[in-house]
Amino acid sequence: MSQKSNVQLHMLDRFREVNNTFPNTAQILELKRQGKKVFGWLCTYVPEEIIHAAGALPVRITGYSQEMELEDGNAYLYINNCSFSRSCLQMGLRGEYDYLDGVVGGSTCDGARRLFDLWHYYIKAPFHHVLTVPRKYTQRAHDLYYSQVMEFKQRLEEFLGLQITDEALCQSIRVYNESRALLKSLYDLRKLSNPLITGAETMEVLNASFRMPKELFNEYLRKLLNELSTSGNTHKSRARLMLVGSVMNNPEFVESIEELGGLVVTDELCSSTRYWSDPVVLDGCKDPLQAISRRYLNNFPCARMFPSDERFNRILELARDFRVDGVISQIIRYCVPYAHDLPLLTDRLKAQGIPTLALDVEYGTSGSGQIRTRVQAFLEMLEAKRK
Amino acid sequence: MNALGIDIGSLTTKAVILDDGHILSSSIVPSGDEAELGAKAAMEEALNQAGFSSDNDLYVVSTGVGGKSVPFSQQQKAITTCLARGIHYLFPSVRMVIDMGAETSTVIKINERGRVSDWAGQDKCAAGTGIFLQQMSKLMEMPLAEMSNLSFQAKSRADISGTCAVFAESEVISHVHRVPPTPKEEIAAGIYFSVVTRIMSLCKRLGIEKDVAVVGGVALNSGLVNIVEEGLGFEVMVPDMPQIVAALGAAIVARENIEKGIK
Amino acid sequence: MIISSEQKKNNINSLIRTCRLLARMSRVNPEARKSETMYYQMLADYYTRVLNAQEEGGFVAAHTVFFPTEILYAMDIVPMHTETTTWLTALFLRQQAELLSAGAELGLVSEICSPHRGVAGAFSIGALPRPDVMLWSNLVCDNTAKSGELLMEINHCPGFFLDHPFQGSEGEVKYFIGELEDMIHFLEEKSGRRMDWDKLAEIVAQMDRQIELFREICELRKAVPSPFPPMSFLELLSVDYLYPGQPEAIDYLELLHQELADMVREGKGAVSPERFRLMTLFIPPMHLMGFLGKISQEYGAVSVVEPLFTRWSEGRLDPAKPLESVAKKAFLIPERRSMYGPLDEHALKDIVDSAEQYKVDGAVYWAFMGCRHTCATVKLFKDILSEIDVPVLTLDCDIVDPTINSEEEIREKLEQFFELLEDR
Repeated sequence: MSQKSNVQLHMLDRFREVNNTFPNTAQILELKRQGKKVFGWLCTYVPEEIIHAAGALPVRITGYSQEMELEDGNAYLYINNCSFSRSCLQMGLRGEYDYLDGVVGGSTCDGARRLFDLWHYYIKAPFHHVLTVPRKYTQRAHDLYYSQVMEFKQRLEEFLGLQITDEALCQSIRVYNESRALLKSLYDLRKLSNPLITGAETMEVLNASFRMPKELFNEYLRKLLNELSTSGNTHKSRARLMLVGSVMNNPEFVESIEELGGLVVTDELCSSTRYWSDPVVLDGCKDPLQAISRRYLNNFPCARMFPSDERFNRILELARDFRVDGVISQIIRYCVPYAHDLPLLTDRLKAQGIPTLALDVEYGTSGSGQIRTRVQAFLEMLEAKRK
Repeated sequence: MNALGIDIGSLTTKAVILDDGHILSSSIVPSGDEAELGAKAAMEEALNQAGFSSDNDLYVVSTGVGGKSVPFSQQQKAITTCLARGIHYLFPSVRMVIDMGAETSTVIKINERGRVSDWAGQDKCAAGTGIFLQQMSKLMEMPLAEMSNLSFQAKSRADISGTCAVFAESEVISHVHRVPPTPKEEIAAGIYFSVVTRIMSLCKRLGIEKDVAVVGGVALNSGLVNIVEEGLGFEVMVPDMPQIVAALGAAIVARENIEKGIK
Repeated sequence: MIISSEQKKNNINSLIRTCRLLARMSRVNPEARKSETMYYQMLADYYTRVLNAQEEGGFVAAHTVFFPTEILYAMDIVPMHTETTTWLTALFLRQQAELLSAGAELGLVSEICSPHRGVAGAFSIGALPRPDVMLWSNLVCDNTAKSGELLMEINHCPGFFLDHPFQGSEGEVKYFIGELEDMIHFLEEKSGRRMDWDKLAEIVAQMDRQIELFREICELRKAVPSPFPPMSFLELLSVDYLYPGQPEAIDYLELLHQELADMVREGKGAVSPERFRLMTLFIPPMHLMGFLGKISQEYGAVSVVEPLFTRWSEGRLDPAKPLESVAKKAFLIPERRSMYGPLDEHALKDIVDSAEQYKVDGAVYWAFMGCRHTCATVKLFKDILSEIDVPVLTLDCDIVDPTINSEEEIREKLEQFFELLEDR
């Protein structure tokens, strides 16, 4: 059974505070008071560094932290769009994101693009931009995406009435790369046979990473890494698990798995490895925009990208590196790209001797009832396999 | 000639006799297995109350689930048309009607002339209807009226699924049998909230516009109406006899036809 | 499960037989349109070509919806439209349940749009012949974009994914032209056939004419009463989907145009009396088409415009630039405007303009539960249409699963809607 952390991790509490108060996080509101601009973004294909380099704060648009009745979301997006998009839209319609100076998205999936269409018509942020994101990795695709990133930069400059210099971009890249490196260090602590941090705790850190100024986040995370290395909180488990699938922000779901004795040692989610995995590769300060655009398109793939094997291969790599016993796939109802990938992904994992538990969820689920029963059975099966 | 409107619902059949601008009488009888028999019974009852003999000269308009099964009616109209007419007669300022019947719930938008401009129904799922509430009251082992009164005392609400009647039912059972059991007033409030949530989605889809009226048998449940008002953020109008609004509307259509000389 | 090649051929054979039968029946029916007869014959010929391809050494490319099949025709490659083929066969042979459960067995969850589950199911049980290559694109949704890889695995054939960019900027058009070039290279390599650029230019010229004819036909539908037969817009679309830039399509459209022009001149409507002019948003369930035709006649209700499918954007094609024109067409197709790309003022204005130009009394939105991105516009379109006082009826449905909506249910709701329209 996993041991509960017995040493208080103060920095984790700070992250929790950021998350529990989102979207009205103290740091965000303070920046607004100082006259800074805040831009909401959706999807890992939006190049955050551009916003950061413009001196603005990028904040990720997420939905409610719990599974909710989504009356407004259902009315506007209809019941068959994923509960993530409905949840985000409802928050927007109810004014919770009114402080945003703009919203930026990618043409990534149907749910996201319709969310943006309706946001544009009914909520009307002062600045609204959608980047076309190709689905391929060809040179041509890179050229297209680069031109999109360029266009986004230009539109942002126009809106803010300033120039985003190469130096500013390089500085932002440094800050973001540091974030990525720190998160990698955090994940390295989960590679251990007895990881120093749980999956649920990691999710708190990840959620906070896109809800506060990156510099401050880096500072907090450095402190947390220190705390962890001296805390002696190690976690044993019945099985080492990887969580994959749709966007997920509720740590309670991970907690409910970990309470049963499984330990989520790694994950492949929009909010986790698909967000921070790859650094921007920069040579001095040569053509930072090109470097940024290359990184974002090549980053750990969303299921929308083609060929799907790119995603599958990276998942298999993660599974190997973290010595994963089993995979739990959680897919939000109507999350189409991930649902299509599931049969092929399950086969690929099976070929590596890794079983998959496939769960249908709604966004924000805390993982009670039926889900617990199925996870329990899965863990028992994995334990038996170990023997 | 007098105007008679009959609304044949799945549980009850209602009839209203309308004179030149007055409701002369109304009746509510069980529908039974045959629509025609229920309709006849409702008609007889209404005639009795009005002091008319059964061979009175009547123009009959029928509506409701069994609206087409009444051979002695001259015209059949959709329930939405009748609800709109009926509520417009009673409260001309109403622009949105929430009809909570035995098997279905419908939200209707009406214009200033009492005509339907839009509607949305919830017929693919049983949650949010009279029959569902009856089942819940059985699980709670108390009559509907008692459950309604109790809900006002709730300080918080039990979390009951708004998505599916089957889930809702099993959740209520687990709340009742929990150790210690969830306070009954909280379960009641939770049940009503789950019903109202689904209605709210429909309302928002159509665009909420004041004044709003709640009709149908379930409107007698003041605890539920209270939660509807919480959901809307303002008070709603409930007629004294919310079950007869559609029958009244049908009678109004009959009245219009008589005046236009339509056979 | 080993499917004999006989069984595979049987499905297509049945399809061809049914189409020929329908063509025969249409031909001997004095009331039937000659264009309808031609349509059924075209369907029969299309599938005959697919059936014979493998025997005659032809090369068959299966493809998804809204695909630039002009390229295939110019390379003498036989196209097989997966969705149309699957669902026509299912409809005629009543195989819907079988195909959908085969799709489920592949691990495709029920939230994945039923046409796609069915296509995958159809290939997996051999109800569709195995193609030589699988071609798919991301028009217009994630389901289409993600369908190809599984289909390649099921059919053990190579495939190509055509990536349509989201918007129509210069860089994006260039990207798309590049994608088409890559696809041509892929096809040349796999089929051993070369692109005939002269033929493509010819096809583009025809396609330009085809679009013009389509536009003119839609103009004729504005007449009061409207001449276009109820629920026949699918016929109109299918001709475009199956025979783009082909002489058969031109012949059909010219004939249809003549028939409609005659009716307009004589003041004749498709339904008499014409009581309700309707806008159709998205498409009705396939198995209800005949029934809806009956309802149209019964209630005097006619669908005069289907903005998501019948309103082409402005623009002409230039045979002197064949590849660019094929690319351009992909941006002009009606389906792109409201169903792909950002939903801008333009797209919304088009819906409102259609309602006004076609003198629409009311709109019926077929909210297909598997189609997320069109359902996301239910409220939006309802709101913009209510600004010009056009009521919208929303019907939750499934377009290929016949167990979801019964005729009674649809009849009841339509009746209620017609009553609303009359009562106003």
